[in-house]
Amino acid sequence: MASLFSRDKRIIWMRRIRNFWEEFSHTKIGLVGLGLLVLYILVAALSPWLTPYDPIAQPRLAQSFAMPEWVTVFPQFSNLTKTRRITLSWNVENDPLNLVTGGWGTSVGVQYKAGDLQPVLLVLHSKFSYAEIPPNEFFQQFAYQSTDTKDVEYSVTLNLVTPEGEIYQFWDEGGLTGDRGQWVTRDSKDPLFIAALFPNEPGKHLGKVFFTQKGEYTFVLELRFRPKSMDATAQLEISDSKLVILGHVHGILGADYFAKDIWAQVVYGAQLSLAIGFLAAIVGTSIGILVGVVSGYLGGIADEVSMRIVDILLCLPLLPLLLALVNLYGRNVYYIVLFIAIFGWQGLARVIRSQTLSIRETAYIETARASGAGGFYIMLRHIIPNIIPVAFASMVLAVPSAILFESALSFLGFGDPRVPTWGKMLQHAFQSGAFINLAWWWIIPPGIAIIGICMAFVFIGFAFDEIVNPRLRRRR
Amino acid sequence: MREYLIKRIIVSLFILWVIATLNFVIFQVISPISPEETFAPLSLEVSPEVRENLRELYGLNDDLHIRYLKYIRNMFTFDFGISFRSRRPIASEMAVRLPATVLLLGSAMVATIIVGTPLGILAASRRGSKLDIATIGSGLLTWGVPVFYIQLVGMLLFCFYFNRWFGFEFFPSRGLYSIPPPQNPLAFMGDVAWHMALPVLTLVVGGFGSWALYTRNVLLDALTQDYIVTARAKGLSERTVLYRHAFRSTLPPIVTIIALSIPGIITGAMITEFIFTLPGIGQWYLTGLNSGDYPVLQSVLFTYAILTIVCNLIADLLYGVLDPRIRVGMRR
Repeated sequence: MASLFSRDKRIIWMRRIRNFWEEFSHTKIGLVGLGLLVLYILVAALSPWLTPYDPIAQPRLAQSFAMPEWVTVFPQFSNLTKTRRITLSWNVENDPLNLVTGGWGTSVGVQYKAGDLQPVLLVLHSKFSYAEIPPNEFFQQFAYQSTDTKDVEYSVTLNLVTPEGEIYQFWDEGGLTGDRGQWVTRDSKDPLFIAALFPNEPGKHLGKVFFTQKGEYTFVLELRFRPKSMDATAQLEISDSKLVILGHVHGILGADYFAKDIWAQVVYGAQLSLAIGFLAAIVGTSIGILVGVVSGYLGGIADEVSMRIVDILLCLPLLPLLLALVNLYGRNVYYIVLFIAIFGWQGLARVIRSQTLSIRETAYIETARASGAGGFYIMLRHIIPNIIPVAFASMVLAVPSAILFESALSFLGFGDPRVPTWGKMLQHAFQSGAFINLAWWWIIPPGIAIIGICMAFVFIGFAFDEIVNPRLRRRR
Repeated sequence: MREYLIKRIIVSLFILWVIATLNFVIFQVISPISPEETFAPLSLEVSPEVRENLRELYGLNDDLHIRYLKYIRNMFTFDFGISFRSRRPIASEMAVRLPATVLLLGSAMVATIIVGTPLGILAASRRGSKLDIATIGSGLLTWGVPVFYIQLVGMLLFCFYFNRWFGFEFFPSRGLYSIPPPQNPLAFMGDVAWHMALPVLTLVVGGFGSWALYTRNVLLDALTQDYIVTARAKGLSERTVLYRHAFRSTLPPIVTIIALSIPGIITGAMITEFIFTLPGIGQWYLTGLNSGDYPVLQSVLFTYAILTIVCNLIADLLYGVLDPRIRVGMRR
């Protein structure tokens, strides 16, 4: 094998490649394709720097179907807001017995010790201002934990007071006697929350109810202690409250139904598409070269068998077959690549075979055979180097075809559920109401991404074909 | 000629047998699908006797090799069995769904040819012109633009945005006809045409480019032949040269391509049918996949293979009719 890359050989190959580049750089369309490809490779390589979000695991970033941020330059969208995350720390409003022992970073500690049998009311508050248009979605979170409770009944109540003085109860848990830890999340989309506030109006738009008034809002937390004996005690820790007012707009390309960043999904799709396309094309082309050269050079039974296999493959509809195989043997991206490769080499094998047939009859092969070269040696050293250009052109065109097949599989819901490909984005968009919500920012970008990457290879392949295929050479 | 035909038929039967066997192996031998799960889901309360009867009905009680032999016999007598899900014969199920698919893809194919062929001829006759470059461009685009994406964008525009802006859908977004369907047969046909318009249109947009490019390349190839030079030298008009001499010789490859794309009629519209909820073969196949109804899958794949073989044969024979040079070669 070492002799394959001897110095002379290397020089010859370098010269070949340089000549090829000389020709290629004169085709405008090829350069456009190459530029596009470089762009995609850069996006794939730099994905983590292009977006801060993971394409799969993401917190709720904005409302469902949040539009891209830049739409706010248009007057009709100029008042839309971005997501606002507000951390609210508690201030003491009314603390008759000096129960608050101080904060521990992000929480407030309360130490209750009864001196008499009088009930005690402790009030904490925290303020924020809101002056934008009302959000469609928001959620509020806080937590409390009690320890060392003894002979006391206590309650935790959280109210929101609007600038105009209306009071809405967010949380009320009373009659507590023992130790307790509670995580509270109040979500504007939660039907139970809506029902608690407006029993007769399910589906009420809470964002509009709460946040239509502009000004200073106050969360009021009330703790009531009712001692049952003189030595009643309780110790409470109340975390800061977090209010997330989910934006109407988000990021470069908005958010999808699941409130995930679309730009992140588009960016990370580049890695997958390139990997899928290249892998499938390399494997498929290798099979095609192998079958074509062997059957063309050896002839006889080998030829007959492989050409019958080609005939059989041509009688199988590719997409339905891929769907069936993927469905049966697992929706795994490696299987998908493998299946695309296994069922996609028949055309190339025929071309290579006919080329091999004509090369086999040339004088230099005769000479090689006469000087004692074996079949394997001739195929490897004399035939394969001669068919490399054709095979390479075909491989370049096999890449977009593999990418399109994968996206079709994903779009039909047969893709690998673990990987975020562009086809799967389109499937989610199609199935999760992007159309009825006119979420063009979810439908258009993945398709443009697919078209761009495929066109890159198609352009390069077209330019290649013009160079290596003498029949297509421009007749001047 | 007869010898050639006989050889072809024997090879075709062999290929069909391999494909039938492949189907059997894929769906019934190494498949993780349990047919019982499909026709009587375990969540369903089904008595063991019913289950046993169903197994008997679907012929699952025999040994594997008996099942295989019966299966091969059935396939070659076009008896595709019973759908697990609907419990109706596959043939009648297929007959219900075939018209929608054939209508969809047939009209798309005809329209693509009608648009693409003249464009290809024009492009070839004016090589290097803007039209030629546009034709090459549209041909390359069809290589890289997924048709389903064109359909999604078309749907977004003509159905959903239209509805938002003007209060009605320019083209309907789903189904083969309105519900309830119009009673008047003429109105019904119009309704179906209206529902088919967007799917067919998008298929044509996604396909005419490669068709035009193909016609152009074939015609250009013909235009460089010696007999064209002779025809020009005789002083024939460019028009006559183009249509009577060059175009005539492009017919064989074009007819071949048409014949070879006919099998695609049965499976080629899977995604289109999925997007527009058209009740065709593709939809049927997808539901079959999702419910593990493998008689459906086998029948579709096998029908496709038969169609491919038959169309290949027809194409070869037509080749001989259309191109005298090949007829001579064959006789020899």
